[in-house]
Amino acid sequence: MGSGFFGLDIAIRGLYSAQRQLDVVNNNINNINTPGYSRQVAVQVATTPLALNDGTGMMGTGSEVIAVNRVRDEYLDYKYWSEQCTYGENKIKSELLADIEATFNEPSNSGFTQMLNEFYNALQELSKDPSSEATRTLVKQKGITVAKYFNNTATHFEKLQADINYRINTVVTEINSLANQITKLNRQIYTIELNGTIANELRDQRTVLVDKLSSLVDITANEVTVGTLPNGQEDKHFVITIGGKTLVNHFDYTKLVLNQRNDKLNPEDIANLYEVSWEDGNELIINSGELKGYLDVRDGNLGQNGSPNYAGIPYYISKLNEFARTFAMAFNEGFIDADRNGLIEDDKGENVLGHADGYKLNSTGGETEPAGIRFFTYIGDDGAAVDSLTFIGGATSKADIMEKYKKITAANLAVGMDVINDINNICTSGQAGKIENTDIISSLIDLRDNSHMFAEGKPEDFMKSLVAFLGIDSQQAKRMAESQDNIIKLIENSRLSISGVSIDEEMVNMIKSHQVYAASAKMITTMDEVYEILINKVGKW
Amino acid sequence: MRITNNMLIGNMMRYMGNNLERMEKYQKQMATGKKISVPSDDPVVAARALKLRTDVSNVVQYQRNVDDAESWMDITEAAISNLNDILQRARELGVQAENSTNNSEDLQKISAEIKELRKQIVQIANSTYAGRYVFSGYSTDKKLMNDDGTFAIDALNSEKINYEISLGDDIDINVPGGELFDMGNSAVKGNKCRLIQVMDDFITALDNGDNGAVSNIVKDIDDCVDNLLRVRADIGARMNRLEFTRNRLESDYINFTELMSTNEDVDMAETIMNLKNEENVYRASLAGGARIIQTSLVDFLK
Repeated sequence: MGSGFFGLDIAIRGLYSAQRQLDVVNNNINNINTPGYSRQVAVQVATTPLALNDGTGMMGTGSEVIAVNRVRDEYLDYKYWSEQCTYGENKIKSELLADIEATFNEPSNSGFTQMLNEFYNALQELSKDPSSEATRTLVKQKGITVAKYFNNTATHFEKLQADINYRINTVVTEINSLANQITKLNRQIYTIELNGTIANELRDQRTVLVDKLSSLVDITANEVTVGTLPNGQEDKHFVITIGGKTLVNHFDYTKLVLNQRNDKLNPEDIANLYEVSWEDGNELIINSGELKGYLDVRDGNLGQNGSPNYAGIPYYISKLNEFARTFAMAFNEGFIDADRNGLIEDDKGENVLGHADGYKLNSTGGETEPAGIRFFTYIGDDGAAVDSLTFIGGATSKADIMEKYKKITAANLAVGMDVINDINNICTSGQAGKIENTDIISSLIDLRDNSHMFAEGKPEDFMKSLVAFLGIDSQQAKRMAESQDNIIKLIENSRLSISGVSIDEEMVNMIKSHQVYAASAKMITTMDEVYEILINKVGKW
Repeated sequence: MRITNNMLIGNMMRYMGNNLERMEKYQKQMATGKKISVPSDDPVVAARALKLRTDVSNVVQYQRNVDDAESWMDITEAAISNLNDILQRARELGVQAENSTNNSEDLQKISAEIKELRKQIVQIANSTYAGRYVFSGYSTDKKLMNDDGTFAIDALNSEKINYEISLGDDIDINVPGGELFDMGNSAVKGNKCRLIQVMDDFITALDNGDNGAVSNIVKDIDDCVDNLLRVRADIGARMNRLEFTRNRLESDYINFTELMSTNEDVDMAETIMNLKNEENVYRASLAGGARIIQTSLVDFLK
């Protein structure tokens, strides 16, 4: 026989347990829509039974709730973090490449192909009527349209690079901020868990922050055991690393810093782009994540100059520059370096008639030298196109002339000042004084079909292959982002399946606890009556 | 597997999102009529589209060139026809003048007419097409012949004006003056052309009343006519070639536009059907989802 009020003790324990269970249910229902919340369960155990010394065994003493645990599968969290970075990288790349596609604007009625068609049609019209003022003006205007297309595209790319640069600043700031917050949470969690409890809500918050961080860079997050505490518990520290170097280690974190580059990585870059590195000067090595997406598109030039091995903006700018230079040189001089050895060899047919070999419309017939007018030049420092004299600057040998063309870029290509000022300077004739001679203009028209001009072939093949290249890259980024999205949604569903709160379940638990509470309360009333009888009625007459 | 309400809601949102994405794609296709709007939709189709656009543009330009070539040659043909009439008339007059029954008055009348014909020949030599002298070779801003029948400029017979009528296919559209007026010799500045020389000889013979010389003139006129027929045949052959090219370009145009359309245009009926299909799926998913996400155990507990 135990103590007199043993029954009440047991009943009260029942009440407390049921109350605690209801509290847990209450909390779960409250937090159904809290992001990152893992459902909590109360761990209820039977309390230590009493040994009855009269040989009838052990007497149960009731129950108690010894802990409230969160239900979480840490493995799913690791999986989520490792897949998020690839998703982040490809999502950013597909966004930025879509922007580049919109800049090229092909296929359409206002893209490069259309514009080149119109220029060549104008040249054809000019070849049929070389002295017509209207047709000459048309050719000049179409030439200006071609040059402006390149100028606008190059400018747009520069703006895009500046944009991405700014966004990199934002991303790095966010990474540092998240690292800071995680460190603070680490401290709070550690302090609370010193006395053996589990800081459920704080851990949930920390997981949410790590989720965000994992899409920005490819991190590895772990809880590592560094020793044993005096009370026998394991001493665990939460550590996050990027590329092998620690970002967060327990209560400390290392920042990422941005430094403006003094030297350009690629010649096509704009000035003063940010270089991302660790605070202590170490090089930042990242393989995935949104940050990598931004860096690849901003700096990528297929691995040249130490740039990322991706076709980013510098690659497209350099291709446009190559086109502008090669086309201008072929149009102006008739130089086509078919074997790409840097020399123009006459015997290999690399020197055909160019615009500079022609005579002006109003030539008298007594000239001994061609007029040497260059149709395409570049925009000078004063914002206006330079004329042929300034452009060539007295160079006479083929090699010297070829050097001059290195000054031309897509951003500064322009129709020469000679042509702009006087349309008679458009040279169609290859003979002095003969206005209907179309040797020069025929040679210029033939350039269109010259498949040795570029490694990719004719001028339109060059642009076609560039656009196809871009299309394939962009398509790949979209597909990768889509498939990663599916993978992540799957993992997310698994997470929710294990850790999510189900209203129906909680309702059932609520009913259960309610019943127990009611029963325990009934029990108390009953025990009360028993004691009443014992105390007041037994031994009374 | 344990399913929570949030999972149901999340899944429903995701499927609806996918649905809307597909609907948006078909709607864009229907609105633009094209399969692709950016290269990444289908890079191969995009590259081919660029090439076919260029091909179509080229064919259109070549057609324009053929038209312009034909205009020029029409003028030339008309001039030669005119010249033929003049020479025939001159020959007639020559045969008439040969006859020794003519008196000096008759010969004077014939001489006056020949003088007029001579002026006409000079005019024909300076025919123009849109302000350009058609027989002047490359110097179309300068007239070919002076009033006295001498050439005003140098116009070599090699000065052929070429128009591009197809890929790598040129046709020369002009007749240099020397071919026609100087028996196939190149026009040299200051030389008198053969045709005018013959006319001048004729006039001299008539004025002198020399019948014998006139019959030689008739032979000379015959030679000139032969030369003219030679040139005429050449023009005729070239115009035939233009006709063939024009027909070929027309069928090329149809072929290329058809290819272009097959490549990048959508089949409207198919797209409308797809869009309707997706719309149905969307409605079904909305209806189903709405039913599921609203009920829970709470509704059934008293």
